[in-house]
Order: sequence, then C-alpha cells, then structure tokens
Amino acid sequence: MATSLTRRSFMQRGAQLGAFGAAAAHWLPSLAQQIASDPDRKRQCIVLWMTGGPSQLDTFDPKPDHANGGEFSTTETSVSGMRICEHLPKLAKLADQLAIVRSLSTKEGDHERGAHLVRTGHLLGGPLHYPDLGAILSKQLGDEAAEMPNYISIGSPVEIAPSAFSAGFLGPMYAPATVSLLGGENDDNAESSFVELGLDYLRPNGGVNNSSFRRRMKLWRNLQTGFLQERPTANAIAQNTAYERAIRLMRSEAASAFNLSAEPDKVREAYGRGRFGQGCLLARRLIERGVPFVEVALGAFNQNDPGWDTHLNNFPSVEQLCGRLDSGWSQMMVDLADRGMLENTTILWIGEFGRTPNINDNAGRDHFPAAWSCVFAGGGIQGGQVYGKTSDDGMEVVDAKTDATNVLATLCTALGVDPNDENYTALNRPISLVEGEPIRDLLANSS
Amino acid sequence: MLLVTAILATAIAVLSLPGRHVWAAEDPIDTMADQIDSLIEARLRAEGYEPSELCRDEVFLRRVYLDLAGVLPTVADVRAFLKDDSPDKRIVCVDRLLTSPRYATHMASSWRNVMLPRSFDREQLNNAAGLQNWLRNQFVKNLRYDNLVAEFLVATGDGTSGPALYYTSLEMKPEKLAASSARIFLGLQIQCAECHDHPSDHWTQRDFWAYAAFFSQLQEPSEGMVNMRVVDRDEGEVLLPDTEEVIGPRFPGSSVESDSEFGTRRSQLAIWMASRDNPYLARAAVNGAWAQLFGRGLVHPVDDLGQNNPASHPELLKQLATYFTKNRFDQRLMMRTLVRTKAYQRSSELTDPAIPDFLFGRMLVKTLNSEQLYDCVTRAAGTEVVTSGMVQDPFLEPRRLAFVSRMHRQTRDATQYQVGLPHALLLMNGPEIQAATSPQQSRLIRGLAAPWFSDEQRIETLFLATMSRFPNEDERREVQAALNSVPLEERQAALADVLWALLNSGEFALNH
Repeated sequence: MATSLTRRSFMQRGAQLGAFGAAAAHWLPSLAQQIASDPDRKRQCIVLWMTGGPSQLDTFDPKPDHANGGEFSTTETSVSGMRICEHLPKLAKLADQLAIVRSLSTKEGDHERGAHLVRTGHLLGGPLHYPDLGAILSKQLGDEAAEMPNYISIGSPVEIAPSAFSAGFLGPMYAPATVSLLGGENDDNAESSFVELGLDYLRPNGGVNNSSFRRRMKLWRNLQTGFLQERPTANAIAQNTAYERAIRLMRSEAASAFNLSAEPDKVREAYGRGRFGQGCLLARRLIERGVPFVEVALGAFNQNDPGWDTHLNNFPSVEQLCGRLDSGWSQMMVDLADRGMLENTTILWIGEFGRTPNINDNAGRDHFPAAWSCVFAGGGIQGGQVYGKTSDDGMEVVDAKTDATNVLATLCTALGVDPNDENYTALNRPISLVEGEPIRDLLANSS
Repeated sequence: MLLVTAILATAIAVLSLPGRHVWAAEDPIDTMADQIDSLIEARLRAEGYEPSELCRDEVFLRRVYLDLAGVLPTVADVRAFLKDDSPDKRIVCVDRLLTSPRYATHMASSWRNVMLPRSFDREQLNNAAGLQNWLRNQFVKNLRYDNLVAEFLVATGDGTSGPALYYTSLEMKPEKLAASSARIFLGLQIQCAECHDHPSDHWTQRDFWAYAAFFSQLQEPSEGMVNMRVVDRDEGEVLLPDTEEVIGPRFPGSSVESDSEFGTRRSQLAIWMASRDNPYLARAAVNGAWAQLFGRGLVHPVDDLGQNNPASHPELLKQLATYFTKNRFDQRLMMRTLVRTKAYQRSSELTDPAIPDFLFGRMLVKTLNSEQLYDCVTRAAGTEVVTSGMVQDPFLEPRRLAFVSRMHRQTRDATQYQVGLPHALLLMNGPEIQAATSPQQSRLIRGLAAPWFSDEQRIETLFLATMSRFPNEDERREVQAALNSVPLEERQAALADVLWALLNSGEFALNH
C-alpha cells in the first residue's frame, strides 16, 4: 500500500525545522572558537573568481627575464625561491600558505565557454546541463535545512555566462544565492567610502513595515495550512519548505552577516573599500556562520570595468586589480587563520583562462588557455610550493601539464569530497562529480 | 428490459458527468473518453482503489485554463462560468480555449522548452523567439503533428530562423542531433549508445550512428554566423568511433540501410518519421500530451519510452496512439478528448489511502513552470505590459525573460517543485511581487480602491483574481478582520498584503 505523507507528519517536520532555526539563531562569537576546534567540523570552500581571465605573467608566473614578461618586476616571498609579481606584497608574506599551479592548460578561449569548462569540468553544449563547482560542492558539504544559503556568490558575472554559474541538472535548489552592491552600480572604484553588499531580495523592494509583514505572514500561513491539509503532495510540501526557509532567513540573526558596518572601520579598510575587498570580508563572516561555499568575484566585466579582460593597457589595469586582490585575499586568510578556520577552509583562485604572453599592439594581452595559472590555499592544501612550469617565454607548459578537471578534482579532495561520487540526472543517469584526477602533490598529507 | 436498463444507465452516466453533451452519447470523442476511463478505472479497481470524486466547476476552470492556455482565467471568466448552468459548459469552455491564441502560445512555449532544454543566452534570444513564433504558427493552424515534425526536420531557416536555432544550438553535430531528435520526437533515449551498446535497452552503438547518419550532411556553421541557415550538402558520413568504418543511414528499428538517392538525408528521415513504418512518433506524442494534462506520462519519465521502461497502462497507450494516427495526428482533438475524460476531471485532494500517482485515480498537483507563474501573477494583479497597435511578443518582454531565466527549472516533471532559497526570496521580495502589490502599478489594487465596492466585494475579487474561486467563510472572516484592524488610510496597503499572501501561496503556484 502506498504511504501518504499525512498532515501530522508534515506538521512534525515543520516543528523540527522551527526548533532548529531557533537554536541556530543564537549565534555568539565565542561559538566560532568552539566550532573551529571541533574535529568533526565540516570543510568549507572559498573560490576567488577572476572575471575576464587574469594574466598569469603579471601575477603568479612572472617572466622578468623575457620580453613577454612586461613592465612589472617580481618580489621575493616567505618561501625561498618562490617569486611572484611585485604588486602582490601582502600575499608574498603568506606564500607558505599558497600552492601555485603554473601548468594549467585548457582548450577554450571564449569567456562563456572557458568559464563553463573551468567551473563544470565539461565543454559547453549538448543536452546535459552540468552543475558548476559551487552547486556540486555546496550539495556535498551543505545542509539542506540550513538557515543560510549553502552557495553564496558575491559579484559573480552570472548574467554574462548563465550556463557557467548554474546548478545545471541538479536543479534550482542548488543554485547560488547572489550578493550585489546595495545602491547602484558603483563598484571597486569606490574611493570615498566602503561599498555595502546585500543578499539579493532578502528584503522587500521598497520596504514593507513590520505590521504589514506580520499581516502577510499570518494570512499566508493560514492559506498554506488549508491547502496542505487537502493536498500534502511532494510539490506542495517543497513549496512550503522553500518559503519557510526564506522567511527564517529574513528573520534570522544569521542574516546580519551581510551587515558589514558591524565591522570596525579599521578592519574594513584592511580588506579594501571596493566590492572585492568587502566581498572577502563578507566571505569571512559567512564562513564563520557555517556557509559551506562562498565565491567572491574580482572584476565586473562591463564597459566601465573590464575586470581582468585586459586587451587594452594591460599593465595599469592589472596593477590596480592586483592591489585589490592583494588586500582582500591576504586579510581574509589572516583573519581566518586567527580564528582557527583556515585549516578547514580551502581557497581556490582561478578565472576562465590566462592571457597571452606576447603583448599586443594596444599594450594588452589577449585570451590564452594553453598555459596559465591558478592558486590553491588553506585547508587540505600543502602550501609553500609551485607546481608545474611554463617555458621561458610562457608560451607552453613544459612540466606537469594539468587541466581544469584535475583542478576541480584537487579542490574536491582537499575538501574531503570524493570526486568519484555521483549525482543523478533527471533520467537517473549517474554523473561523477568531477572526472579528473586530484593532483596529489598539492594536497596536505592529512587529506 | 435489460437493454432499456443499459441505455438508461448510459444516459444517467452521461448526464451525471458535467461537461457532456446530454444528447451526444454518440460523439466519437465521448466514446474514446469513455474507453480511456474504463481502462483507467479497471486498473484502479484491480489494485484495490476507488477513483476520486470529480472536481468542482471552479477547480475545473482553473485547471483547464492553466493546462490549455497556460494562464489563469480572469475574474470575469470565473464569474461567468460559475453562473452558467448549461450542462455542456465544460465542453464549450474547452472548445473556446483550444481555438484561442493563448492555446497556440502555450503549446509553442511547451514545445520550445522541450526543444531547447537549456536556457539560452542573449545572443540566441531572437532566434529563440523565432522558434517560438514558428511553433505558434503551426499550433494556430493546428497543423497535423506528423507534418509539423517533417517540416521541422527539413527546415532550412529560409524565411524563418525558427527551427534553425535547434540545429545550431546542437552545433549541427550528427551525434547531438540524433540524441536530441530521438528524445523529442521518438521518446527514445539513445544517447548512451553513442559510445557503447545501450546497457539496458536494445540499441547498439551501430544503431545510434546509423540514425545519426541522417544528420551527417549538414554544412558546418561558419564563424560568427549572423543569418542562420541550415544547408544540406551531398556529402558527409559518420564513422563508427575509433574505427574507419562508415556507417550508412538506417531508421531506428529497421535492419535495412536507407539508400534512396532522392532528396536530402534529412528529407528521407522526415518522410520516415511521418510514415506508418514509424511506431514511435505517435506513442511519444500522445504520452507527451497525457503528461501535459495529467502531470505524468503513461510512460514516466515522459521522454524515455524505451523497452526497459514500460507504460503504466500499455493497452491505453496503444489505443491512444492508434486513435491519434487514425485522426490524422490532430493535436487539438487529442487534447479535447483527454480533457473530456473523468480521469482529467477528478479532484486532486489526497485520499486515504493515497492512490499511487501512476494509477491516475486522482488529478496530480502540477507545479506551474516559470512562464506560467509570471503570466499568472501579472494577469491576476493587472501588471501585464499593455500594448496598443502593434502586438508585442510577450516572449521578448525583458522583465518576463529575466524572471523566467532566473526561475528556470531543469525537470519536465510537473509533480516536482524545484525552487531554492534564492528563488523563494525573489518571489517574496522581487520586482514582480512588488509591482503586483503596488497601487501605482497594479490595476487590481487600484481598482479595488473604488468607493462603490464593499469590503466583501473586494475580498471576493482578490480571491477570484488569484485562486479562481470564492473565499470560504473562514477566509472571508479572517481577511475582513485584517482589514478592520487598520485605520482607513492604510486600507489599500492591507489589501495589498492580502494579495501578497494569495500570490505567494501554494494554491496559487500549483495547478490542482
């Protein structure tokens, strides 16, 4: 006989969720310390997404002795023999935490296709719509009933390449909750004051007063109860659950994570005033509140701000971008380490591809997927190393060539997720999380 | 005597089902509908279940509007239908809906979503609109389904960019076009056989490539192609992977290679698709129509009709396919027949014991897709974009596009609700609901302010506009109490709050 989900079990489920919500709402900073030292604590992930494709030669694979190297010189780091771009001095001091991969080689030189490949591990096209790394990992690491969203994306260019920033066949339950600038398009060029960030649609557009909100909730709950009594079907229950979760978040103390003005100005300043710096600060606050996957993008990718897509005047743009990157990323690592959270938080710095070693007639660099870099840091990663090598002119990989799927598999493994685990499509076809092999040299011994 | 009793019984049965012509027991549509019901009910009783009651008029009206037109009935539609006491009003209403422009639009949207399952990017937008238009024109004409498929398969893109987008979105690759077209038109999941013999079905890798060979003579798209055209060449073959062996074109289920010199390979495939030799086309089409109306195919999932996945009601599927073929692949007739069944008109309330979904003893609750949801919110609140003069394609409305792409779901299974936390926030706090509850933008909220309305009428109108029904006593009392609790100058805001609650309710977001 078929079982039915009765009203009774539905109400019990609601009650359980409610109790959990109440418990999670009482967040105290001291709890962060306890959680950080908990051996069973879940791993978390931060991806620093470099919109537009960052120049490897002007960041982590400098070629100062070759004409392709360009204008910048290098700086020594806390790791002897490892040199990076002079415009990343703060990160240079943390180099013992960084594992630089200089032998990444992929096959897509178009923004959307490149982003799709790097983020899903699959070529764009075909009937199956693959989930991106945020959807895959937040599904593995997250709790479906959590108060906060499991996948939060800060400033990612979702609109430019929708298929590369999507939950694909996993469905909208695993799609990113997006964070945008409050109050307009002003972005990383903000000089005068700190930018403010907000979770999209966390509050009603235009505002609704408290008594109105209460009235809405009361009427809504009664309508829900009536309908669910007669039709407690899977979709009706799922609709109610999604709303209850959203309402819980709107009311929760945890949502105060988005209120960056709670941080002292000195701290905010250290991260950098713009969207990326404040995004890194927000990422730290979200990691403290247990969000399993956070992405912070650097570069808006529009006409005013081409991000890392430096076809023109590469050097002044990259110098500015490096300044933001250096402050935000390094301060985030320092703060996470202070809280004992860096060892459980894996960080990946990557974009859709690298840039041409040769400098074009506009003093710019063009798209270049054949030989480029990404960087790992934090939990599960053996820091203080450079993996792989490009030729003196930077045109090709000469040692330990690797690809996007291996990078994704490495990220999974560092997070304690088996890349061979499977998700199922709508037709119950099993699909591996990631098809690549983890790069063992990059992994800390314990993982 | 026995005969008289039988006739009387039939007459009573016909009379007792709302929406039947009392005088038309001979109507072939009724005959087929009865046949469907007898097969469904026999199976139900064999499994030990009783079918649910038939649904009330207001439930039927809302359901049939959403299923056939993709949008809610207006307040005036609901009032008129409930007031009408003619016995055949359900039939009249269905006939009107099936010839309405909204029917063609809704069918076109459904098919476009099947053909382009991935969300498309902005560059493809005009071509997606082209496909939508092309499909809509076919549904306006009620073009025979076999002809529709044939025209789709030989489309070149001349004169319309519609079907061309389908080819370019699959990069004109034979293996991708094969997998996709087999799924869409034949209900066959043959893509596994691209690389190896199908693990659970009888498709071999050779079968797959023989079918793919029909798409092997298309011209590669040129870089930055602006004017999308699909051009057939007279050369181009597929090879069995990892070999040099050329695989010639062969139809699914056939053992003989198609060696016709006449027409392009695609036109040979188109002719076979529409022929009596193809057992798959009608089966897949009626299963799709069934799923659109009942929330689940007789074969489930709806596009996997392989041997390994039998139908819940094999005899019914067979008879429906025969009926569809005999009636010249008339899609409108198919819809008209299915909605006339008792099975379609049953209540969706859960019974105890709960009837398993696949027995169709009650109507399944179907989740509105994002296009339906947007259209329902804007119609209910009166925030649609109104154009005068030139008809604007609602498909291209930027706000609707943004909403639809953000809410895009991946499954064709309407019994699932795929909405995450960010989407629920969008529905509660986003621009659509804000417009719907704003007196400046919502014609409904503005209209309710008229001084000649009583509160009772205002409450009724809110429920009719959103739920397509009158409020019950509890609801009237509760809403009235909410209105009474605010000072007069906040009445409009309180009415907007009621509308907010209605538009965000499960009853609104689900077709029951």
